[in-house]
Amino acid sequence: MWNRIREWFRDRSARARLLRDFNYNARKAFIEGIVPTLLKAGVSKGCSSYRHQFSDWLKSGFRVQAFAGVELSKSDIINIGEVVLSENALVRTLVVLGFDTLEVHGDVGNYGCRWQLKDYIQLSY
Amino acid sequence: MNDTMNDTINNLSNISEQIDIWMCIALVELILIVFLLMKIKKGKVKWQENLSRKEQFKQDALKEEIDFGNIIQSSFHAQQLYDKLKIKCHPDRFPNDAEKNEIANEIFQEIAKNKRNYKKLLELKAQAEQQLNINI
Repeated sequence: MWNRIREWFRDRSARARLLRDFNYNARKAFIEGIVPTLLKAGVSKGCSSYRHQFSDWLKSGFRVQAFAGVELSKSDIINIGEVVLSENALVRTLVVLGFDTLEVHGDVGNYGCRWQLKDYIQLSY
Repeated sequence: MNDTMNDTINNLSNISEQIDIWMCIALVELILIVFLLMKIKKGKVKWQENLSRKEQFKQDALKEEIDFGNIIQSSFHAQQLYDKLKIKCHPDRFPNDAEKNEIANEIFQEIAKNKRNYKKLLELKAQAEQQLNINI
């Protein structure tokens, strides 16, 4: 029981660190003019049909959203999603930290795309 | 006197029969309990093995380094660079030089493999410029 509580806190901390690192690098790249759009990673409810063994039961969506700068087109959104999914280490980390859905959204409205993370990783441990 | 003795013997044999039945039931229950305990123990071991494997998988995944800077840059620039490289480094551009054609073939395969990795594409661009003598 004690181990589970410790593990839960460790996971929360790792999730927060992951989001902080992503947002820090995105902000840095935007400020230096390397990328035209400021991306911001956050947590969302996720899609309940995408659940797996590691899924968090409350917030299981990893959301990347355009925050400022040039507006994202549909192809940009798909491209960002595919880049994230092509990074195996990131997908594996997201999965073990309880995320099951990747969402990429534009800055205006609710348009965006979502992917099932377990499709991009082998979960036979 | 004899009747009393006979009654007593009959009673005793009945009791021994009853004891035998109860003993059998107790034995069956004991065997059942042992069997269930073994099954639970086996299941617990399997569950623990599964849990430790899951934990190991998790630990391995969390140890991996993630290059967020490269991911952010790749999101916006990898596609353009890939489009440029796949044209400039295509093996069909070197039909007369067998050596360059082979190098271009290798580079082209690497480019296709890393089409969403901006850092790797930049390395391949430098390699192509150096080995194929082209300007990209």
